[in-house]
Formats: sequence, structure tokens, C-alpha cells
Amino acid sequence: MASSALSRLPLGYVLQRLALMLVTLWAIITLTFFLMHIVPGGPFVSEKMVEPEIQAALDAKFGLDQPVWRQYLTYLGNVLTFDLGPSFKYPGVSVNQMIAEGLPVTAQTGLLAVICVVGLGVPLGVVAALNRNRWPDTGVMMVATIGAAIPSYVIATVALYVFALRLGWVPTFGLDDWRGYFLPVFALSGFWLSFIARLTRSSLLETLDQEYMTTARAKGLRRGQILIRHGLRNSLIPVVTVMGPVIANLLTGSFVIEQIFALPGIGRHFVLSITNRDYTAIMGITIFYAALLMLMIFIVDLLYVFLDPRIDYRRRA
Amino acid sequence: MTDLRWQPLARDTAAAEVIAAPVRSYWQDVRARLWANKPAVVGLGFIILLVLAAIFGPMLSSHSYRAQDLQLANLPPVFRLNQVGDGKLVYVNAGNLNIYEVDASGHVIGNIGGGRRDMVNRRTVWEIDGAEVALDYSQPSRGPVLMENGEPAPVWGRVWNRTYLFGTDQLGRDVLVRQMMGARISLAVAFVATLVNFLIGVTYGGLSGYIGGRTDLVMMRIVEIIATIPLTLYVILMMVVLQSGLISVVLALGTVFWVDMARVVRGQILTLKSQDYVAAARTMGAPTRWIMVKHLLPNTIGPILVTATMLIPSAIFIESFMSFIGLGVTPPEASWGTLTSDAVETLRTYPHQLFFPAAAISLTMFAFNFLGDGLRDALDPRLRQ
Repeated sequence: MASSALSRLPLGYVLQRLALMLVTLWAIITLTFFLMHIVPGGPFVSEKMVEPEIQAALDAKFGLDQPVWRQYLTYLGNVLTFDLGPSFKYPGVSVNQMIAEGLPVTAQTGLLAVICVVGLGVPLGVVAALNRNRWPDTGVMMVATIGAAIPSYVIATVALYVFALRLGWVPTFGLDDWRGYFLPVFALSGFWLSFIARLTRSSLLETLDQEYMTTARAKGLRRGQILIRHGLRNSLIPVVTVMGPVIANLLTGSFVIEQIFALPGIGRHFVLSITNRDYTAIMGITIFYAALLMLMIFIVDLLYVFLDPRIDYRRRA
Repeated sequence: MTDLRWQPLARDTAAAEVIAAPVRSYWQDVRARLWANKPAVVGLGFIILLVLAAIFGPMLSSHSYRAQDLQLANLPPVFRLNQVGDGKLVYVNAGNLNIYEVDASGHVIGNIGGGRRDMVNRRTVWEIDGAEVALDYSQPSRGPVLMENGEPAPVWGRVWNRTYLFGTDQLGRDVLVRQMMGARISLAVAFVATLVNFLIGVTYGGLSGYIGGRTDLVMMRIVEIIATIPLTLYVILMMVVLQSGLISVVLALGTVFWVDMARVVRGQILTLKSQDYVAAARTMGAPTRWIMVKHLLPNTIGPILVTATMLIPSAIFIESFMSFIGLGVTPPEASWGTLTSDAVETLRTYPHQLFFPAAAISLTMFAFNFLGDGLRDALDPRLRQ
């Protein structure tokens, strides 16, 4: 199985995808660089008047006295060697340090949220589909519709108020206690959990209508076997397809969640650097995020081959 | 006597041509199907009401969305009234320890000033109708208690706030008017952004699909690259560059989310352009623009409409997201996002303030999602499950 799956994934296709990713990344770097450079006023403009000598020294230190194209090339070269430069607002802190500090937190909550989305969303969708138009279906669909309509920050604040402030079951901020993970993960995964549950339900319903399901039943296979081998395997393909973008959205959704729960993740650094107008940090974190998200989508697309024998990238390459 | 039932009928060629069932055009069909879908109709009704409220509500209200009255800050929509003095009704604001005089039907008469703060005993004392009324907040666990001459003041009952139907915010502004102004801005942002997306997406996708070949390949590669860029990040960057404000939000949202629209339109045009009637039009010498506008686009209107209806709620979502992290419209303008983030600041003392903006966003999401689903089913019954 694995070997045939690998043969459906030619090296040419992988390389082509990688090349496209690099082009996209270059486009993002260029875009963010020039966007940040057309912001009116330099990064050190503040209400406080700075002595011209100090201003000149600052400009020289950060290379801002150079022509823009030169700054651009330097920045591009630095990014290629994974150096995102120093922070404008926190002296002595580099953007790399900021990311290294925030990544474990963001990755942990993000991973838990993904597990939560898949581990709860798919079973809920299956339960709903198998009980079509009966109370479990109506219940799941109602919760899913509500979950898709309420913004994550509202879920987060209400949950924070009820469970942390009123009931005191979980801490209000931080992740020192394992219970601290509950609310951020819940708020982060709410929308996509509903989305995946609905997708699984409609996809499984469609599969259950197929004739091969009748055939499988006529052959006398057991109900569970039919459901898993013929039903789920086919109906989960659309779910896998959207997982790449879902992971991407979970990660960007963490900006607000980390802000609300005061988690020291990348999203919080990002929002802080926006409010501080810390341009190098904004640029660096944007580029890092973009690269991370593209990588996620890429990996999911490759995994796809192993799950769906009909996917064949040879024709497209 | 012959049985008439077995006689042949007189031949009537005109009658044979009569079509008994009423002829319905495609759009009449769509309307009938949409009308039969109750959630979609309710959603449509809600959206119409919301738009009317957003346009006319602030004009009809006697309050202004920006007038502040710090004396009357943080009033709730429902008062729990105590009776003091000679039947005076007062409301105790547990958050800022002020008391307000309210009449029996729920109109706010005003903040009762002149209180003497007794820091030692942790209470504030007023002189009302000769009686000594004190707000005792010495025990935080049970909250402030209103005392009259040493006895707890009797509870008169609950009454709706008639002056400020939804209460006031932390600067004493009327929440209802701000809510309607917020609807105005959120909806305006969503509609304009969707319109911009619509124009760019339809033009781009239409051209790409119609011209085809290498142009299509290049144009779709560009779309592919744009689609890999996480769009929320891009919107945030745009907002950082453009500075916050209404026009920036519209610009940032409008220039980003056309990718889906372009893909949908291109796919439709690709299948449509090989149809015979297009070839016929071209043989008769119709120019490209004519074929696009008169033949191809009208036939893609269904998917375009559905995509646009789905774009509006995501635009509202992203706008409120941006406003929430402080990149949206600037005060005193209000959008649902800024209203939510204002309410979150006072969540501990006045949790009810979060209710209105959160409910507004959620209900609007429901409405647009139901309408979108309904439209999709109505425009293309084959998609129905």
C-alpha cells in the first residue's frame, strides 16, 4: 500500500510544490517589507524629540540609513539564513528569540486544539449522520450551528467569566496548571469543531447513500466493518482536505485567544508588536507564520496520497 | 340511447397546445423554493430588519451615539429598585457605588449626588426626604447594601430601563444607539467589502476562464500564490500600514477575499464557454465583452450570489476580529467588534454589557448562513442533500 502510494507521489510534484512555496514566501517577504516601509514616519518617530545625532546613530545601527533596495537585499539575505533581525522596541531582543519563546506555547495549545477538533468533531459528525433526523442529529447540528455563529473571542470571554471567575474551576490565565489549557483550547477549537462535525455529517450521509454500501451489506459484512472500512474511509477524505487550512486558521485564531487568556505565545507577541508598532517584529512574525502555515498545508496535501488511493499527483506533475 | 362516454371528442388542435400548469420562469422557481425554506426566510427577514434599524434607528433615537454622560455610566437594561424616603425609588449601581433615582415606569431621573463618603465605615451617606440613606459596602462578600436609618431599604421590584432600553456603557452612552451605529458600520464594511470582492473576483475569474490557455494558467498561479498567504495576516498588515479607520478596513477586506469568487466564476465560465450558444454568438460576430456580460455572467449568477452571501458574514467576522485587537474603526465610532472589546473590559463588574454586541454578531451570522444555505438550495436544487 505504502509503496504504491509513494509511486503516486512523484518527486517532480514535490519539488514543484516546494518551488511554488518558495516563490510564495518570497512574495510574502517582499510584500511585508515594502508594506512596512511605506508606513508614514519611521519606527523611531515618537512624541519625544530625539537628538539628531541619536537618531542618526539609531538609523545606522538598524541599517536605516541605507537606500531601501539595499535594506531589502540585506533583509532577504538574513531571512534566508533564518535571521529575522532585532526587535525595534525591545533593545537586545531578537525576533528569533521572541518566536523561540512563544512557539512552544502556541504549538501546544494549537496541537491540543487540532486533536480536539478531529477527536470530537469527527465522532460527533458520525453520530449525527447515523441518527439522521433523530434527536442526536438535531442536537449536534444545533450546537454546531451555534458554535459556527459565535465569534471565538466571545466564547473565550464568556467561558473565562463563567468557569474561571464565577465557578473558579480553572485558573483565569496562564498555563502553569494543566487545567489552564481547558478554556483556551475550547475557545480556539469551537468554530472548527462545529465546522468539522457538519462536514463529517454531510459527507458520511452522502457516502451512506452510495450503492457500494448496499453491496457491502448484501455481502453480509458486519455493520461496524461496513461503517469503518467503506463509510468512514471514503467520507473522511473531504475532512482531510480541509485540515490544512483548518490548522492554519487555528494558528491565526490564537492571536485573540492568547491575548484574552494572557498566554505568552507567538500570537500575543504579534498583537503586542502591532500595538507597539514594532515593525521588525511584525515583519518577522508574519513571515514565520506564513512559512509555518504553508508548511502545514503542504504536509497535509502529501499525507492525502496515503489516505485516498484515487489521488494521483503523477498526472498533474 | 347511446352512451356519450364512448363517443369520440371533437378534435380541437388549439386545446392540444394549451399548457395547463402555469409557466414559471427560473427566478419565479427560485423564489418559490426560497420561500418554502423557513430558516432562510427568517434569516432574510432578520437581515432586512437589521438594515432598516441600522439606517433609520440612530435617526429616530433621541440619544446620540457619541454624547457622553459620566453621571449615568454603566446603567443596566433592567433596574432592581429600592424604596427610600417618601416612596422615592432608587437603583444601586454595585459597580461604581452610585445611586440613581428612577420613576415607577423605569425612566431615569438622575444620579443622586451629594453623598458623603464615610471611608472609615466603608459607606456613603445621603440625606433623602429627611431620612439617612446609606450604601454599606463594608462586606465585599455580600456586595453593597442600601440602608435606610440603619435598616435595609425595602426592595420595590424590577423595572425595565425606559430611558436607555439597552442600558449605558462605561462612558454613559446609550447602548442601543451605539449598537445600531455598530450595525451600520459592520454592515457597511461587509457590504462594501463584498461588493469590491465581487467586482474584482468576477472580472478576474471571468477573464481568466474566458481567455483560457496560457493566460488562464498564469492568472490561476497568481491566485494560488495569493490563496496560500494567510489572509488574516495580510489584512492585519494592511491595517498597520493604512492606520485604523473605516476606509482602511473596507480596503483591506475588499482587496483580499476576492480569490474564492475568482475561482468560482472561472470554473463556471470554463464549462459555459464551450456551450453551443456561445459559439453561435461568436459566429454572429458578438464582441467578447458582449458575450461575457450578456451570455456568460448571467448564467453564473447563482454561484456568484451564494459566494457573496457567504462572504458577508466572514467579512463581519474579520472586521470584528480586527476591531477587537484594536485595528478597526476609531472611537467614538462603534462597530460590533469595538463594542465587544469595550464590553470585555468591564466584564467583571457588568457582564450584561457583553450580551448585546455578542448577540448581534451571532444572530447576524445565523441569518446570513441560513440565507446562504437557502439560496444555494434554491438556485441549484441538484445540490440539495
